[in-house]
Amino acid sequence: MTWLKLVEGYMPMQMISELACSILVFALINWSLNRAGMGIPKFWAGVGVWIYIQLYLKYRIYPPIPFSVRAIYGTVSACGIFMWVSGSEDAWQEFKRPVINVMDGISGFHKSMRTVALIVIPLALGGFAYNSFLPSFEEPIELRTVHPAPPATTKVHGKTFVLQVVENPYRVNNEGKYDQAYTDARIVEQAMGRLMKDVNDPNYNPWDPNAEGYTKYVREGGEIFFQNCHFCHGDNLNGRGLWAYAFNPIPANFTDAGTIAQLQETFVFWRVSKGGIGLPGEGFPWASVMPPWEQHLTVDEIWKVVMFEYWHTGYYPRTWD
Amino acid sequence: MGRLTSGRAGKKFLAVTGLFAMGVMLLLPIFVALPALAGGGAPAAGGPPPDVVAAQEAEGAEGEEAKVEIGRDVYYKTEGPVVGAPAPKTQDTAEFYPRYNFESRVLLWVANQQHLYYGSFVLAVPIFCMCIEFAGLVSKDRAMAKKYDQLAYDFIKISLTAYSLTAILGGILIFTFLTLYPAFFGYLSSIFRPVMHIYALMFVAESGTLYIYYYGWDKMKEGMLKWLHASMSVVLNVIGTVLMFLANSWIGFMMSPAGVDEQGRYLGNIWHVLHTALWNPLNVHRILGNMAFGGGVVAAYAAYRFLSAKNDEERAHYDWMGYIAMALGVAFLIPLPFAGYWLMREVYAYRQQMGITLMGGLLAWLFIIQATMIGILFLTTNYYLWQALGRMTGGERFQRYIKYFVFILVVGLLVFITPHTIVMTPAELKAMGGQQHPVLGNYGVMSAKNGGINAIIMTTIASFIWYQRGNRVPAVKWAKFGNIFLITFFVVAHLNNIWVACYGYFIPANVRIGLSVPQVAGTLSCLFIGSALNLAMLKQSRELGPIRWGQIAPRSQYALIMLATAFTWMMGLMGYIRSSVRLFWHVNEIMRDNSPWAYTHTIGFGANVISFNVLFFWITIMFVFWLGALGAKKAPVPATQPVPGAAPQPATGH
Repeated sequence: MTWLKLVEGYMPMQMISELACSILVFALINWSLNRAGMGIPKFWAGVGVWIYIQLYLKYRIYPPIPFSVRAIYGTVSACGIFMWVSGSEDAWQEFKRPVINVMDGISGFHKSMRTVALIVIPLALGGFAYNSFLPSFEEPIELRTVHPAPPATTKVHGKTFVLQVVENPYRVNNEGKYDQAYTDARIVEQAMGRLMKDVNDPNYNPWDPNAEGYTKYVREGGEIFFQNCHFCHGDNLNGRGLWAYAFNPIPANFTDAGTIAQLQETFVFWRVSKGGIGLPGEGFPWASVMPPWEQHLTVDEIWKVVMFEYWHTGYYPRTWD
Repeated sequence: MGRLTSGRAGKKFLAVTGLFAMGVMLLLPIFVALPALAGGGAPAAGGPPPDVVAAQEAEGAEGEEAKVEIGRDVYYKTEGPVVGAPAPKTQDTAEFYPRYNFESRVLLWVANQQHLYYGSFVLAVPIFCMCIEFAGLVSKDRAMAKKYDQLAYDFIKISLTAYSLTAILGGILIFTFLTLYPAFFGYLSSIFRPVMHIYALMFVAESGTLYIYYYGWDKMKEGMLKWLHASMSVVLNVIGTVLMFLANSWIGFMMSPAGVDEQGRYLGNIWHVLHTALWNPLNVHRILGNMAFGGGVVAAYAAYRFLSAKNDEERAHYDWMGYIAMALGVAFLIPLPFAGYWLMREVYAYRQQMGITLMGGLLAWLFIIQATMIGILFLTTNYYLWQALGRMTGGERFQRYIKYFVFILVVGLLVFITPHTIVMTPAELKAMGGQQHPVLGNYGVMSAKNGGINAIIMTTIASFIWYQRGNRVPAVKWAKFGNIFLITFFVVAHLNNIWVACYGYFIPANVRIGLSVPQVAGTLSCLFIGSALNLAMLKQSRELGPIRWGQIAPRSQYALIMLATAFTWMMGLMGYIRSSVRLFWHVNEIMRDNSPWAYTHTIGFGANVISFNVLFFWITIMFVFWLGALGAKKAPVPATQPVPGAAPQPATGH
């Protein structure tokens, strides 16, 4: 199955495409069988498609999908299959026929099926009820708020920052003015590999000795990152640092589209400054061991390291305009 | 001939004069209350809250000759004279929060929600009546004109009983406020005093118009009087809309206060108090929401009558009524997500933490439930339309493609409802290797979700086009070209939607937000261009057979009931979310809620109260339906029956 790998960066569309292709193949097989006079009864077609989707989600997608999400997907796909099999009156009658035949017991086989159903269904329900009452030693489910709302203002090293309006003082152009577009143009390529746009140009390569302004600040931020943060957040900023698996949950993966890519730079500044213990009430159960970096870094260092994180991942901080 | 013309002109003049006079009379309350606008800000009847009284007494007589103090508006940043008392600083005592042995907030929640349900319904239904009555007036088909008129009358009849209940529930709501939250209500009424009077007087005007409109149906059934009657529905709806805008200004003020200083003191500009940051988005969102909700409830009424119908005629009438109500409701459902998007954008712009609390933080899971409900609404609508194809000769042509539509709808919904914050056990978290799933995590952010909902909406539009073509085949010369163009248009719109959804991951967030414009433009183009083109093609069409009204599968009617229930549940949910986002504030950042209930409920508790509200509403509305059925002695007129007399012919025997 190595030729069927889920490719990083394309996995979401790959999953949808695979499901779409499967459905098309099923439709084609069914059409061919119908032409040959051996069509699959609608009931079994519906049940089969539903089981296929569940197996696909459970065994094809890696890492494993949590049960809560699979339950949602299972319910929605069941609704979809119901809509399909009852979309027209003919289809609905065809779908119901095997069930009604069993309930009516029209033949010896159907009667025996009815007897089996009458025994198995109550037993299955009883078993389900019994299992749900059994004492469990699993850790309880945590509905953790990953990005709790920040306060309107935060105080770091005695200075108050209004998070909605404050700007990173190092996100500047050659003239030293705040310039988001200028700095956005100088981040790494947002694609697999995350390569610098021009490794020989000091405007794009922070490690070039001639780097000045924004790129120089990125290098300084990188130095701070590799001295302090990479142990947990990893060399590639993907949350897989040396110590990462000592923690549960593991540290945030900045390369994921759901973390810093959808946050304002000031939000990240606040989170880095205040750390896990500075999370507000809604961040319960405060499952973060990140130290409050304001106790170890200056305000300038925090701004630089935040800027480096955006540069390295190829993401842009969220803005309003 | 000339005499006839002058006679008509005279009648027309009389009718227009009558309408004008009625309009003046109805607007009189506003002019009467206008002087009060200038004064505003005095404490409410019953006096200011206890702590404010104490502070005023402490100041003593020196305050009497104090200079006019100037305050700074918390939102507009303008300066104005302080003419109101500061917001009371409440404490957890019976003085500020009198209580029963029950959570006051839940009592208020239930009272408020029930009032809102009925309020929305009675504001939405007259708009439908207006549209349907006008459709009857301009219809050239006499039988259809009569049917439309009967339908409009049926609608307003249901609304009338619900109107009384709305007023009763409004009274209960005010008493609940006064008895359980006197300090807060006192403060709010001190700020909105002039507006509250206008509100009450507008309610009188609304009632007067509604009763004339309803009871005058038979008297004003011909000629210009009929036009005057139809025009009254316009006046009725204008008053209703103004009423809603005023009520919205209170919740807008509670979420994003303006017109007061940091202490909550009124600065003399009532327009600032009304026109808060969120007022307009709330107004637009609520109009559309009310219409969709009203359509859903009327469709459920029709479904109930269909399922309990005793003969084919009744079944045909209520099948048709259900279809019209559903179509009206869905017409307003389609733009609703865009209005919601605007509202959320304004919330983010107003306070970042409020936006994150809503969509990324504490209340994010409620938004996933909301997305699920939106999905249910669209899926149910599609399902109903596919069932409706079954009552048309030729409809089966389209039914074989249902499975492909189902696939697009299901995939769109799965992406749309994939949570960003996944519920999982610590063991699952370890197995996943982090909080973000590398595949599903991408569905959890806005770029993918926009793609999901737009795919669903476009598919719904395509289902509507199918439905319109159900028993007809275009016969225009350019039919082949039109069909190819239409299919290409939808395919390109879908591809554009998917491409933009993927591209959104590779560009800055602010540009990504802008990308929703081409997505929405694609969807709206499908709606307007697709529908217009389809109608143009059907202008000359070959009919394969009549629509067999009443011969629709009963499960379609359960779909309508589900549609209405989903609307109701979603309204309850969104009301709760909107209110909860203030967290521990009565008025955001101005007046703190110090009651013992100033915390956010668990999702389970919130869902239970919402379900209770939905159940209560449906039990009471069933009573309203029953009352409506009590008066329905007359059998509905079948569509094919020729009707004598000049068009438009109103329904008779009311």
